[in-house]
Amino acid sequence: MIWIETLVNGLMLGGLYALFGLGLSLIFGVMKIANIAHGEMVVGGAFLAFTTSSLLPLPLWMTMALVPLVMFGLAYVLQLSMINRVLGDDPMPPLLMTFGLSIVVQNLLVELFGANNRALEIGALGTARLEIGDFAIGYLPLGTFALAIALFAALHRVLNHTGWGRNVRATADDPALVGIFGIERRTVFAAVMGLAAALAAFAGILLAMRTSVTPFSGSERLLIAFEVLVIGGLGSIWASLAGGLALGVIHVFSARLDPASGPLYGHLLLIAILLARPEGLAGKVRSR
Amino acid sequence: MRGCASFTSDRPTMLEVRDLDAFYGDFQALFGIGLDLGAGETLALVGANGAGKSSFLHALCGLTQAKGTIRLGGTDLIGTAPRDRARAGIALSPEGRRMFTSLSVRENLEIGANVGRSGHWTLESVTALFPILGEFSDRPAGLLSGGQQQMVAIGRALMANPALLLLDEVSLGLAPVVAQEVLGALAGLRGASEMMTILVEQDISRAIAGSDRFLCLLEGRAVLAGESKGADLDAIGRAYFGEDVA
Repeated sequence: MIWIETLVNGLMLGGLYALFGLGLSLIFGVMKIANIAHGEMVVGGAFLAFTTSSLLPLPLWMTMALVPLVMFGLAYVLQLSMINRVLGDDPMPPLLMTFGLSIVVQNLLVELFGANNRALEIGALGTARLEIGDFAIGYLPLGTFALAIALFAALHRVLNHTGWGRNVRATADDPALVGIFGIERRTVFAAVMGLAAALAAFAGILLAMRTSVTPFSGSERLLIAFEVLVIGGLGSIWASLAGGLALGVIHVFSARLDPASGPLYGHLLLIAILLARPEGLAGKVRSR
Repeated sequence: MRGCASFTSDRPTMLEVRDLDAFYGDFQALFGIGLDLGAGETLALVGANGAGKSSFLHALCGLTQAKGTIRLGGTDLIGTAPRDRARAGIALSPEGRRMFTSLSVRENLEIGANVGRSGHWTLESVTALFPILGEFSDRPAGLLSGGQQQMVAIGRALMANPALLLLDEVSLGLAPVVAQEVLGALAGLRGASEMMTILVEQDISRAIAGSDRFLCLLEGRAVLAGESKGADLDAIGRAYFGEDVA
């Protein structure tokens, strides 16, 4: 029974990991750039939630809706005003720009909030458990997992069954051509960056409910997001879900079997995947 | 003939191009091209590889930087974004077909309708023109044969209900029988509406047979122009290869 519980907990954590990877995967898929500031978007979402919940007497669900909206707007403007200018054949300038941004945001957060640990106060929800026989699972991990799956399904629906999603996929395929079909690629990129940041911020709020974060927590989440992408594979958002779940299960099992190992076994899984199946668990093989 | 060959049409001019220069960065691809095209007319653009045919089409739809005048229905489009030219009625079926490979056939066609111009061309009328596209509408466009992809590319351009349809090398790389099928469908459109067409084609005799007028480019300059009916294929051939046409 303990092993089933461990497996379930791993999958629950994996849902959150998958959500870390989702925005990064979306940006990479559409713009072909690696957003180094992705971890700061996660942590930024958490800190925005701390701020709104301390300034405004909002219920939790409203914070969870408001913060991603604000992040969408911020990232939309960021893409239009800065990142669009450095997009081109060379992947280096956007890499450097987002790297710079991550440092700026990190220091801004330290300046504004200090370097202390903070967590989102959620009261009894943090410890409430659903018990089925002698099997117990926390409502928070369960809710996190359900929300993650719902967001994957919603994004899938938007990308594959709406006119906007069709334009996004066309822009990802051939950004130089879409202009002659009336699509403005700059605003498509801005909306995609906004969406990725909103997803990251939402994941950040879920993270801050589960554990405490500091302004420096971003790089750890960026690493997880990258591992999710590599383990799952590129080419489809569902690959990120597979990668997240695999990484979550490995982390929870290794914490139980070898408590001092930290993220070691996750990294070993990454290396094993790179050696045995470089396209990832569920990625599409790309020939060049 | 000097390097600025141009001609006038007997129908009211819908497209007017004057002194068009086009550039790829510092490289100048076109020098002072001019032409007039009337409603419903088809122009064949002929010339050797690298003569500037695709550059001319790209300059018209805004994919290449250009100077000069491009007047469509009275509006000068020079300097405007590709999106604005698409709205003004210029549509391109690009060389190499350039499918959106992660989109289905139907979605590729729908992308053409993004421009928001209404008219004869809808999913129904395009699939009536190319029935195979209706049959394969849910397949990923990248899995189609070359000829079928070419039909998608033409259909995608038609979905914009263009005033000016640009067709770049529609028969390139296709088996002769497939090329005939595609060109046959296009021949059926000629003169059926006000839509103007500029087609780029390697095969001179095929280009002349399928057009009202022709323009021959050599190294970015117009060297010969005229009516396709009764055109002297030998003279075009000499202009094509840059032999003296005087």
